[in-house]
Amino acid sequence: MNITDFIKKIETEIDEFEAGTLNPDTDLRKTTAWTSMHALIIIALIDTEYNVTITGEDLRTITSIEDLYNIIQSRIAV
Amino acid sequence: MTPFHLHNKTILVTGASSGIGRQIALSICEMGGNVVITARDKKRLEETFKNLKGKNNSSITADLLNQNDLSALVNHIPMLDGIVHCAGIVKPFPVKFLSEEKIQETFQTNYNIQVILMAQITRQKKINKNASIVFLSSISATHPHKGGALYSASKAAIESLSKVIALEFYPQGIRSNCLSPAMVKTPMYDYAEKGASKETLDEHVNKYPLGIGSPADVANAAVFLLSDASKWITGITITLDGGFLLGGI
Repeated sequence: MNITDFIKKIETEIDEFEAGTLNPDTDLRKTTAWTSMHALIIIALIDTEYNVTITGEDLRTITSIEDLYNIIQSRIAV
Repeated sequence: MTPFHLHNKTILVTGASSGIGRQIALSICEMGGNVVITARDKKRLEETFKNLKGKNNSSITADLLNQNDLSALVNHIPMLDGIVHCAGIVKPFPVKFLSEEKIQETFQTNYNIQVILMAQITRQKKINKNASIVFLSSISATHPHKGGALYSASKAAIESLSKVIALEFYPQGIRSNCLSPAMVKTPMYDYAEKGASKETLDEHVNKYPLGIGSPADVANAAVFLLSDASKWITGITITLDGGFLLGGI
């Protein structure tokens, strides 16, 4: 797993994000397309792909995709 | 004498270690009934047990997903005058990520257990005539939410199950009904708060004319359905929503 793959997966799962529009610095919640449905999709994607549980609270604390990626990495490592 | 009491009634409450189940057990005892409480978490179940009024209550730790635990529970319970099925889980997941495993996880706890428990209790004749069965549904059975494919469907299934039980057991005077609450402040609510975004939840809460519910609001309705005051009521679902479904806000 690397951050580029992770970003590609998000772009694949959320139709509103076109390929190549997201980068590690993107704050997902500040994108114009962001809705509560996307939070559900991100949580389910991470559960399905990495078997890691992310909460809505986690999504509120992060300010970039990189932050989210780091949370996943830290929980895979445990 | 008022029929709004539970004297001389013994009632099984599942999922009694926390939230709505816990409060229902406490309220039954307040209204003069005896309870058999069950849940997976021994420590939390003991905590509920310590707070029960009266001396004829019992507590049986059981993981109802485990067939042996479920059979042991049914073997140990006394004759029942009522059952309140409160065990349940909620795990929001969008449809495109669902799998057999996810379906099983929710349906086993929210539906299969209730069916198997009813099957074993009735076959072993552990239920008295004129008993009352109460299932915990949710307004999401008829008013679903995004991510609720499994939870909402499992609650819709429970409402159907309750009606079938009402039909199959009326010759014994046994009644079966559902309570369908909207948002209630419980540990499950706190869990939902972590899972969803707080903004979404706050926006939802503001749509309740009478505010969101407390476990006691649900427990009072359960007591009514368990008492003889509701003896002409069977096969229905009582909505408890603080006016939310009026949709005026």
